[in-house]
Parts: sequence; structure tokens; C-alpha cells
Amino acid sequence: MTTLKKKEQTFLIDLLDFQDSLNGNSEFVDNVRMKGADEVRNTPFPHSKDEEWRFISLRDLYSDSYQHVSVLEEKDPDLRDYFLPECANSRLVFINGVFSIKHSSVEALPDDIVIDSLARLAASDNPLVKEHLNKYTTFEGDVFSSFSDAFLQDGAFIYVPKGRKIDTPIHLLFVQTEADITYFTTSHSVIVADEGSEITVVEDHIGLGDNKYFNLPVVEVSAGKEAYVKHTKIQRDSQEAIHIARTSAFVEKHANYESYTITIGAKLSRNEPRISQRDEEVKFTVDGLVLIDGEQVSDTHSVMDHRFPHCESHQLHKCVIIDKAHSVFNGKIFVRPHAQKIDSFQENRNLLLSRKGLVNTKPQLEIFADDVVCTHGATIGQLDEEEVFYLKSRGLNEKQAKELLIYAFALETIENITVDSVQKLLVDEVHNFTERQLHSEFTI
Amino acid sequence: MSTEALESMVGGEYKYGFTTNVEYEEFPRGINEDIIREISRRKDEPEWVTEFRLEAYEKWKQMEEPNWHNVHYESPDFENIQYYSATKKNNGKRPESLDDVDPEIIATYEKLGIPLQEQKQLQGIAVDAIFDSESIFTTFKEKLKEEGVIFCSISEAIHDYPEIVKKYLGTVVPKGDNFYAALNSAVFSDGSFCYVPKDTVCPMELASYFRINNEQSGQFERTLIICEENSKVSYLEGCTAPKFSSTQMHAAVVELVALENAEIKYSTIQNWYSGDEKGQGGVFNFVTKRGHCRGDNSKISWTQVETGSAITWKYPSVILQGDNSVGEFFSVAVTSNRQQADTGTKMIHIGKNTTSTIISKGISAGESNNSYRGQVKISSRAENAKNYSVCDSMLIGQTCGAHTFPYIESANPTAKVEHEASTSRVGEDQIFYLQQRGMSEDDAVSLIVNGFAKDVLKELPMEFAVEADKLLGIKLEGSVG
Repeated sequence: MTTLKKKEQTFLIDLLDFQDSLNGNSEFVDNVRMKGADEVRNTPFPHSKDEEWRFISLRDLYSDSYQHVSVLEEKDPDLRDYFLPECANSRLVFINGVFSIKHSSVEALPDDIVIDSLARLAASDNPLVKEHLNKYTTFEGDVFSSFSDAFLQDGAFIYVPKGRKIDTPIHLLFVQTEADITYFTTSHSVIVADEGSEITVVEDHIGLGDNKYFNLPVVEVSAGKEAYVKHTKIQRDSQEAIHIARTSAFVEKHANYESYTITIGAKLSRNEPRISQRDEEVKFTVDGLVLIDGEQVSDTHSVMDHRFPHCESHQLHKCVIIDKAHSVFNGKIFVRPHAQKIDSFQENRNLLLSRKGLVNTKPQLEIFADDVVCTHGATIGQLDEEEVFYLKSRGLNEKQAKELLIYAFALETIENITVDSVQKLLVDEVHNFTERQLHSEFTI
Repeated sequence: MSTEALESMVGGEYKYGFTTNVEYEEFPRGINEDIIREISRRKDEPEWVTEFRLEAYEKWKQMEEPNWHNVHYESPDFENIQYYSATKKNNGKRPESLDDVDPEIIATYEKLGIPLQEQKQLQGIAVDAIFDSESIFTTFKEKLKEEGVIFCSISEAIHDYPEIVKKYLGTVVPKGDNFYAALNSAVFSDGSFCYVPKDTVCPMELASYFRINNEQSGQFERTLIICEENSKVSYLEGCTAPKFSSTQMHAAVVELVALENAEIKYSTIQNWYSGDEKGQGGVFNFVTKRGHCRGDNSKISWTQVETGSAITWKYPSVILQGDNSVGEFFSVAVTSNRQQADTGTKMIHIGKNTTSTIISKGISAGESNNSYRGQVKISSRAENAKNYSVCDSMLIGQTCGAHTFPYIESANPTAKVEHEASTSRVGEDQIFYLQQRGMSEDDAVSLIVNGFAKDVLKELPMEFAVEADKLLGIKLEGSVG
């Protein structure tokens, strides 16, 4: 017991030894790594008694021994199945945390947009990297983002200049390959949309095998004045993987940030979208869909931080739980003093379809201004028998009726995603999931 | 809508802030084994109660003050509290008739609107009056006894009905349940005891009236209500305290046990002194209230109107163990000035087809903070359990805060849990509408706030609803005048 406890405390610190295996980059990157490593040494590892971590156990993470992803041999997997047709020439691919120039193409994008691998830009001392990296994060005191800094290597860097509206969606594909060893990998992506620009990004995490690995992606987004950023994240990591993500977005005056997070993969996943309002009159959306089965655990802790007057925010988080899966949701809505005229909506709906499933939900409001309309709701339940009956009376069989209802439940969060192929892909995922649900031994 | 009018609404004068001049017995401050034995000795308690206290004290010593709540205050100095406070006249002895009670105290209760003479009272309410650490008098005791209902102070019950008390005391809230419950179990002074036998509907409303008068002491009330099969009881509780610049502590434990088909309705109007505008003084209200639906088809319902106390830390809960049992929680919490409230409920669903309803209304004004904290837990065995929760907050002014922390857990797929919450303020359009119908701005605000709390107020028993209305009226005073 004591050895395990000790392991928990020193787990990330021990892994810092792998810092040596990172490629030298630039002085700037070295400094970020050093600072990150210092923070890791001085920040305690989360404990299940911490309010923020009380519903899940990280034992699966810290009880294993990991090596840095760089020890793996270079791989060249066939990725064609994962490419999105809309993004044939607007795609960055990262294989095991490293940029793959071979699979990437940005030809469809205008020349004045900066889109490249963070490592390549940093190595050439690009001033944009220095200006924007870690400028839009709100994860002070968080050991995982410090750890990510300590292993800062690669990721996507996108800068859209003033007034540039890009119709073509951009696909960021993060691929983890199969391996005999258990490895950890980090990535850090930065998306900056300058004044009046528009951009659509699909962040896509894929595991090619069934192996265990620890994936720690950090994404920071800046939606500048009057900018419009649409950010879809699809997490399809391997069924044994551990996925701990940090996503933060700064939303400036008159800007609109929409984020959709779809969780399908990973044995243990933790998403932490944090949206920070930086000026008056903004709009943002933080929707999510979670489809989990087996022994999967999915945890979403979101923060919607309203700091200035006039904001419209929306969060719809839906989960479908089968087998022994466990879903956790904690959504915080903060309204700071003097942030008047806030209209904030939050809803967490859970479809618990199995005897052994578990749902924890904690929607949370903390309001310090009086002239606001903030609502939240949470439901946990199953498919409505009357609805199933109605569909059966219309000629559908039980399976079709249930499938249709689960599909309809999930669709609400998918239908706002504007990339057609992503929608189609998710519809297929929902279909597969429903199939699995019908064969689960714990289904009621 | 002027903010001043809104703010004046909640700035009504505290009417119960007077002190009664009574002589107190000497009692040392602080807490240790000797003090606990001394409390036990003065109350002439049997050995098992003394043991109960000492075991609780041992547990308490090992525990740490909770800090997870959303309230901030200077931790009380537990060594500087007088844990027992008896008036000289009574000196621990129970008065045989009202003639034995200090007339000063009778006058106090009269002033509070609670006459202890039976002929002066509203028919249909039996009152147990508790002054600091002692139960002063219980009315209509004989009449209740005819029906087999026992209603008396807990000290009396320990003497007269030890087998019942022993069977149930500490079974709903164990000795070491939490920091304040353990402290209470060690030093509890007095409180009410009620036992309703099988197949009995208690013929009148039962009420306890708690008064803190001694500046130095804390009040550690302990209440135990047992409702046997097919029985029913409605119990009311009221609390006030004088204005002192120092803070007093009130750490109570209330245990309710409902057996098969039994129904308990527990209503509270809590109006302890809340401190002044600067946050000086007031009562720290750390209360553990829990009901246990032990039998099938039983029902426990909590209704609370929380307007007083500098700090409120209170989560009346229901353990729904019996199949088809029902738990309810209705709450209005009003905070103003520097008051802080962290209150809510827990509904633990264990039995099949159990249902629970939570309706919580929080109103914050001034520089106060009002938090709802609730837990709904559906265990894997709770087939077809249902929960419905609503918690609404209303903010008045820009310097207060409203918080909602609902914890929801479900491990049963046949269960249905619904939770919703909203935060808003008195709408300008609502006020405008009422004004153009001929109401003054103040009347309009008062009407809107009353309407906001109506869902809860209508749950109060008739006799109490009048008092609650008056109480909200006091808080709302200034808006109308």
C-alpha cells in the first residue's frame, strides 16, 4: 500500500527522466520544458479526495510504468481510412506525437494563414510561437499541463490573420500506433483566430491498436475580436488508452467560439474544456457527446467563466452508458461580480442503459451578479417505454426502435457540426455503439 | 427599479433581539471528560448515556472541522464555549407545573408570541419550550398521553422511557457521523422527544421553541422523533436568539425514524440572530438533521424557512430504505447583510420505488452568500426510484452571491433523476407590469418575492404558515413601509 501511494506521488516526477530523450529544439522551447519540469516537481498529484478528482481513480494511470513515445521506431501506417474528404488538402497529421509531413497537406488553404507543426516553427524561432504559446491557457497549478510543458515537442500551430474567413475545414489528425511497450505522449496545439477571421478545426485522436498508452493533448484557442471559431474534437483513442486532455479558449469581444467534444475511445478519459470570456458581448458553446461501454470511464469537468457583461453561453452534454461504463460530469458556470446580462444554459443528460453502469453528475452554478439568467439541468434515465412502444406500433421491431431513439438522443449534439463527413462518421459510430448495446449482457 | 428599494426589503429590524434577565448556575467553560461527566451528572443520567457521550467525545477529538463548505468564518474556540447553561431557579429540576417556572422566562415566551399557558394557546399545538440548555415546559402533555403519544424533553425521556430512547438514539445520526454531530452527541443538553405509537394519528401539531439567551453558552439541542407503523405526526420548530456582538454556537442533531406506513412532517422556521450589517455577532448554526424511512410506504417531509443565523450549515436528509418510501425537502433560505448559508439536502435511495422531491428557493441580498448543496444518490438496488429536484436562486443587489452544488449519482438504470436550477433576479418587466396595475414598487417586489417562495411556503402547516408569512414580512419590511 505504501509503495503504491508513493508511486502515485512520484509517478510524473519519475517520468521526467525521459526529458533527455527529447530532441533539442530552441532556447525558448527548452525554457518552457524546464519551467514545466519544475512545476511538476512542486505540484502534488491529484488525489481522489480532491473535490475535482473525487469520482474517478487514476490508479490505472499511475500503477503502470511508461516510456516516452520517442523510443518507438518510426512507423508509416496506412491512414487513408481516417482522412476526411473535405480536408484532403487542409490536414496536419501527427504520428506518435511527431509531425508527419508525408501525410499532411495544406495546399487548399490561403498563403497568408500560418499552419504548420509547432516543432518546426519553434525550431526556426518563429515569433508567432513565442507570442502565442501558453498565452491562452487557464491551467495554473495543474500538474498535467505542467507535465505537458515539460515534454513540449510538437502539435499544430494555426494562425489566421485579420479578416481572413476560411471555408475549408482543417483536420488535425493525431495518430497513436500499436506498440509492445506502454508509452506516454503529449501534444500542444495552438489555434489563433485574429480579428474578424473564421475557421473550422477538427481535432481528431485515433488509436490504431488495442494497446495501452497515455495521451495528454493540450489545445489552446484564441477567438479574437469578432472572430468565429468552430472546434470539433473527436476522441477515438484505443480502448485501453488513458486520455487526459486540457482545452482552453479565450473569447474576445463579439467573438463566437463553438466547441463539440465527442468521446468514444479510451478506457479512462478526462476532458477539461475551460472557456474564458475576455470581453463584453460574446457567445460560446461547449457541447459534448459521450458514448461509452465495457469498463470505460469518461469524465468531463468544464468551466464556463463569465467575466464581463453580455454573454450568451450554451452547454449540452449528453452521455450514453452501457456495460460497466462510468460517466462523470461536473460543469461549472461562473459569473463574476459585475458580469451582468449573462444568459447561460447548461444541461447534462444521461442515458443509463445497463445494470452495472454508473453516472455521477454535478452541474454547478456560482453567481455573483444579479441581472443574469442562468439555468442548469441534469437528468439520468433510460429510454422511455412509451416511445419504444409507439415506434413498435408503427412497425419497427424492438431493436430498430431502441436504435432510433438512441440515435435521436445522440443526434442533438452532432447535428450542429458543420463538416459533413464528420457528421457521417459520428452517425456510423452511434450505429455501431447501438449494436454493441443490444449485445451487452447487462442491458435491461 | 431602484436597488435601494430592493435592499431595504431585506433590512428589516430583528424583533427578537432582546435579552431576558435570569440568573445562571455557574458552569465552567471548555470541553473535556470531566465537563461531560458533569453535564451527565447534573442531568442525573443513567450510565449508558454518559458512555454514549464519552464515546462521542473520543470520536470528536479525532475529527477535523469540515472545510468543504462554501462559508467562511473564524473557527469557534471550542475551549471558550460554555457547554451547559441552566437557570438558577430550575437548577436542572423539571418544573411540575407552570408555577415552578421563572416568570421572567414565561414573559419571554409570551413576548415571542408563544404563551405557555394552555388556555391562552391556539388549540391544536403542543409546545416544548427550550431555553438555553433546558426544556422549560411542555404543554398538553397529558392530553397527548391519552392517545398514547409521548411528547416531552429528551432528558425526561431518558428517565422515563429509557428503553425507547436507547433503541433509537444515534441510530440515524451515529455518534461519529460528522464533526458537529459528534460534538453534539458528547454535550447535548436538551431537545424534544416524540414517540407516536402504532396506528395513531397525533391529535395535535407538536412544536418546539428554541431560545438562546445566555451569551456565553452554545445550544446543543437533540431531538428524536419516532413514528410507529401506520402513524402520523407533524412537528414544528422555531428558533430565536438575542442580539449579541459575539457569536453563539448552535449545533443540533435531529433524528427521525418512520416505520411502516408512518408519516413525519418536520417544519422549521429558523430565525436565530443573524449578526449586524458588518457581520458582527450572530448564531453559527451547524445542524445535522436526518430522517430514516425504515419501513415500507413511509414518508418523511422536511420544510424549512431559513432566515436567521450568521452561518447556516444544514442538510436535512432522508434515507429511503423502505420500499415505496417518500422523501421531501422544501426550503426557502433568505440571506442578507453578511449572512452565509450553505444548505440543502441528501436523498439516499435504497429501497425499490422510492421517490424524492427537492424544492429549494434561495434569496440572497446585501453582501451575503447563499449556497444550495444537495446530494441525490440512487443505489443499484433502488429499482424505479425517482427524484425530482428544482433549486432556484434569486439575487438582490450586485454584491451577493448564489451558488448551486448538486451531486447526483445513479447506479440503477430503471431510476429517473431530474434536476434543474436557475438563477435570476426580480425582473424589471415584472415590476413594471405590477406597477402599471396600480401597485407601488415596494409592494410589487414583495409580491414577486413571495410568489417566488410560494411553492415552499404552502407546504408549511397552517398554524406555522402565518408565522412564516410574518417572518418573511419582517425580512421584507421597509419595502412596504
